[in-house]
Amino acid sequence: MIDFKDITDARELLAGHVLRTPSIASPALSKLTGADIYLKLESQQVTGSFKVRGSYVRMAALSDAERKAGVFAASAGNHAQGVGYHAQRMGIPAAIYMPANTPFTKVARTEALGAKVILEGETVAESRILAMQTAVAEGKVFIHPYDDPHVIAGQGTATAEFLEDVPDLDAIIVPIGGGGLAAGCCIAAAAHNPALEVVGAQADAYPSMCQAFKGEPPHGSGQTIADGIAVKEPGEITTPILKRHMKTISVVSEADIERAVQILVEVQRLIVEGSGAVPLATVLADPDRFRGRKVGLMISGGNIDSRLLSSVLMRGLVHDGRLAKLRISLIDMPGALAAVAGIIGDKGGNIVDVLHQRMFRDVPVKEADVDIAIETINANHVREIMAALEAKGFGTRLLSDMR
Amino acid sequence: MDSLNSSEPPVFADIKDAQRQLQGWARRTPLLENSILNEQLGFRLVVKPECLQRTGSFKFRGAFNKISRIPIDMRANGVVAFSSGNHAQGVAAAATLMGMKSTIIMPKDAPTAKIENTKALGGTVVLYDRMTENREEIGERLQKEQGAVLVKPYDEPLIIAGQGTIGLEIAEQSQEMDIKPDAVIVPAGGGGLISGTALAISETLACPVYSAEPETYDDHKRSLEAGTRQPVPTGAFSICDALLAPIPGELTFSLNSRLLKGGLCVSDDEVLMAMKTAMLSLKIVVEPGGAVALASALTQKIDLAGKTVVVVCSGGNADPEILARALSM
Repeated sequence: MIDFKDITDARELLAGHVLRTPSIASPALSKLTGADIYLKLESQQVTGSFKVRGSYVRMAALSDAERKAGVFAASAGNHAQGVGYHAQRMGIPAAIYMPANTPFTKVARTEALGAKVILEGETVAESRILAMQTAVAEGKVFIHPYDDPHVIAGQGTATAEFLEDVPDLDAIIVPIGGGGLAAGCCIAAAAHNPALEVVGAQADAYPSMCQAFKGEPPHGSGQTIADGIAVKEPGEITTPILKRHMKTISVVSEADIERAVQILVEVQRLIVEGSGAVPLATVLADPDRFRGRKVGLMISGGNIDSRLLSSVLMRGLVHDGRLAKLRISLIDMPGALAAVAGIIGDKGGNIVDVLHQRMFRDVPVKEADVDIAIETINANHVREIMAALEAKGFGTRLLSDMR
Repeated sequence: MDSLNSSEPPVFADIKDAQRQLQGWARRTPLLENSILNEQLGFRLVVKPECLQRTGSFKFRGAFNKISRIPIDMRANGVVAFSSGNHAQGVAAAATLMGMKSTIIMPKDAPTAKIENTKALGGTVVLYDRMTENREEIGERLQKEQGAVLVKPYDEPLIIAGQGTIGLEIAEQSQEMDIKPDAVIVPAGGGGLISGTALAISETLACPVYSAEPETYDDHKRSLEAGTRQPVPTGAFSICDALLAPIPGELTFSLNSRLLKGGLCVSDDEVLMAMKTAMLSLKIVVEPGGAVALASALTQKIDLAGKTVVVVCSGGNADPEILARALSM
């Protein structure tokens, strides 16, 4: 049984070992969503996520003998960073299991913290079983990413700080993977104000806690931008805590999460990883539910791959109609392309790329297709340009995916 | 400062006064750092992220400090400003908060996003043709016809004092967080932000303050070396669109020439690398012009080994294309 006292104890323990991250009001997101939005920036935490809180509390509880023997953990992401970071500072040997196919950058990042990385198993779940088995056999402590009272109390400190900064929140939206952050959040929120609603949020590729609530067997699969909460098995300790405190869990789509990451960059100038953007995605998916309420979003982490972030930003331009690709049919005669360019220019579109390819297209020999990429203002602007081209007899098709 | 239109350089008390004026309106942006990055760098890097300020840049501070002091009986006439960027947004937002109308004179070829953002903040945008029209004439006409108050981007005491609140916050927050800065680096365009910040630092932390600029727009560096204001060579180009003032401001340089330790310069590639580090290690979005001080520190234009440096990241209004370009560095 974990109570609020454990969280206040954890706060004392954590002082000087992790950051007390800022909470900020967001007038811009408030305007966008109609809710009064506040953000708790665990993306600014040491190692870029809240995970260092729980891992420190767990590792501080180790006996001298346990410290000397070293710890095991399994994670390819934020938990690995959390355990590795403290292990090095506390002088505790750490071995982190990761799936065999883990990208090199993630391995390197954890090794850079001084931890030993062991690549075994096909999935994180398999790596975890191997790590737990080896830990038991070798008499070492396995640091669980969420299903541990120390870890839950540690993660709860993020919510306690948030409520100290913004005491009159009506609701907090918190991402759920295994449920450690969310369980700590529930305990801290209930102690602060029993009427404060805690809304759990999951990605629809991995809705395991939501399924557990419904009594369905958990299953999750596939790729998600919210890889930090792609957990197939909800925790045995965390699940009952969430069931006791949480009325609903929202499940959001990949498209909404991607849009939330993009909006956080463009509107809030913050870099947030997919799982950290899930709370905002929850508001974007159902703004009426939160309209007029004071809502805290737990921005759980900021560790997003640079290539992934880059594609989210560029796809965002395409989705918003700020970058569009048109396929235009021309009669194959001199001046046709110039006429098309003239129409686009007159309408204020800026051509950034032209592909004029006649050899391999399935069109009559006297016609030609040209694919033109243009910078535009918004979706309406794209539609205006298309209409202007059609009006002059140029058949036009939108090739890009506009929202 | 008694007058709304004083032309005397501000003093430290004016910055304290500006801080009271901004209380509850401007955001007190946090100081950020990344301990793992610090270990890699071999020095302590502390960032003041004004990209998290209202309107995404520090410009709101100065604009609000000026506009909020306009007497009630003069407010009906509104304010006017020239800018194609962050100053436009700061002025529009501050005027709207004070219930005033704002007219922003922007070049016809300004990026659409900036025009749209300024409109969204409540500004009325008047476009002019850079080739055939003179923006000062348009501004004077509006001032005469409408009685609007002109809000200059940097060469004005209230603006400098407003931007100076950043320096005051750095000093206060350093104390709260037990940080002892050895140097402060601040981006310089017209010099408003850095002159106010340096003035506040000189009365508090009293550590050296350096200007940071694109190497092609090194007018502060050269002016500091020469002791007089030196213009940017014609035809210069930089990706730092927020820092393209042609020459240091008169009033700002009168402070900067006395208060700055020296000028640092960075290349466009160093700026892009700094933007990438800001995104991946500090988790913030910084625009090219906002990243020059960070770039100067990351590339150690001054020796920082074992030291503590505070850099101002002055704005975050960057297009996704340039962010993607920085991420690919």
